[in-house]
Amino acid sequence: MLSESLNTARLGRLRLGAALLFLLLAPQARAQSDAPEPAAADLKPVPVFSVQSGFVTFFEGGTPHLGPLVTPLLLVPVGDKWLIETRGTLESDLAPEPGSPGFKGSLESSVDYLQLDYIANKYVTVSVGRYLTPFGIYNERLYPIFVRDLQTDPLILGIEAGDYGAGTGGMVRGGFDVARGVELNYAAYFSTNSTVEHMESDRAAGFRAGVFLPGPRLEVGGSFQHVLQDERKNSFGFHFAWQPAPLPLDIRAEYARSYDGSGYWIESAYKLSQVPVWRNTMRHFQVVARMQQFYVNPEVVEEEGDSGGFTTNTNMFEFGLNYYFRDDLRFVSSYGRQFAPQGGNENVWTVGMTYRVALPIGHGDIR
Amino acid sequence: MSGRRTGAGLFALTATAWLFCGSAMAQQAAKPAASQPTATAANTTESATGGGKLDDSELRTQGEKRFHANCGRCHQAPQKFPPRMMATIVRHMRVRAMLTDEDMRAILAYMTQ
Repeated sequence: MLSESLNTARLGRLRLGAALLFLLLAPQARAQSDAPEPAAADLKPVPVFSVQSGFVTFFEGGTPHLGPLVTPLLLVPVGDKWLIETRGTLESDLAPEPGSPGFKGSLESSVDYLQLDYIANKYVTVSVGRYLTPFGIYNERLYPIFVRDLQTDPLILGIEAGDYGAGTGGMVRGGFDVARGVELNYAAYFSTNSTVEHMESDRAAGFRAGVFLPGPRLEVGGSFQHVLQDERKNSFGFHFAWQPAPLPLDIRAEYARSYDGSGYWIESAYKLSQVPVWRNTMRHFQVVARMQQFYVNPEVVEEEGDSGGFTTNTNMFEFGLNYYFRDDLRFVSSYGRQFAPQGGNENVWTVGMTYRVALPIGHGDIR
Repeated sequence: MSGRRTGAGLFALTATAWLFCGSAMAQQAAKPAASQPTATAANTTESATGGGKLDDSELRTQGEKRFHANCGRCHQAPQKFPPRMMATIVRHMRVRAMLTDEDMRAILAYMTQ
């Protein structure tokens, strides 16, 4: 009886405490929501944490591969001109092993980038640290799982991104108007050799430059890289992107060439938002098609066993169908056929989901 | 018995009020500012094209165009985040997607309204 009355008293105090806490904090919350909004230019940025995740199953030549992937991203703005940004990747490739049940694989982790950016002026941003190699457009812009329209990598990604997809060193970059309706963007970088685990990179230097026409939404550009490891090899490439304004259509293409080989891909993605039937449903669908070819350097194949990851010239056609539940939650699927002489023909299916979430970090009014 | 009822009543009142406040704040944060009589309505900003001054509605129109031309190359339809988060994300995209200074300001104005 005594214990029951003590519990009742404790419960009462707890409720009273909660009520008092509310009375103290609620007016502050209301005051915050009634305050005038600051102009966009006066906004004080807050740190942001984002997670992009996905689970995509690949069927390559009939063998299933389960691919869970999580990429956490952290953005920490400092003052008006500085930004610390980092992204990591945790992924696995789980495949059946002959003679044992279930799927086997190991967890792989890497730091995609960890860089400090300083916006020096409207023409120049300086970045130091580990950065994504700005060669072409795929590695830096289209690689994230929730951005790419097809979940398989382009065949020329090895030429573009090298072994690690990132460099360690410094970079200057920027974008600015050069005339009315014409923007120029550029990035020039150098990278040192790094053998730090999860943050490896090659010694290299290179640049990328592009011209973007916002009116027709057309971009063309080129890239060059000189690798300064044991092999002093050059790579160069061109990229193209066009979004014709009246249509929900993206057309992108890249070409790259190095001593290891050469190749190109061309991709178009069309959102069915203009289909005149079942509009509410159709606007969530996107159809994608991509064609690509990779030409090996026979000398490299003879010396090293493969050239850019391939032993023979390879062609690939892919068709995808994506469904956007929201812009951050998506069902993805595709079918592709790889053609390679000497028995390398195979079907590649993918099916999965991708998701992204972003949250502010810290206390205070995020408005 | 009466104390228990008072406590339960206060608790219910607190919970309801918190729900109301939370919902009001979330709506406030997500509401387009065009419908709010705020201090920004009278603001003017340097023209995104580098010329004269643009008022907020012109800057937002510029921002919408620039969003679709720049961000639309990789992203789908705009997702609104709270303004101070958006300020960070736009700074990130300025570096990553090499937006111009003018693009950044116009897109930030569009995405925070």
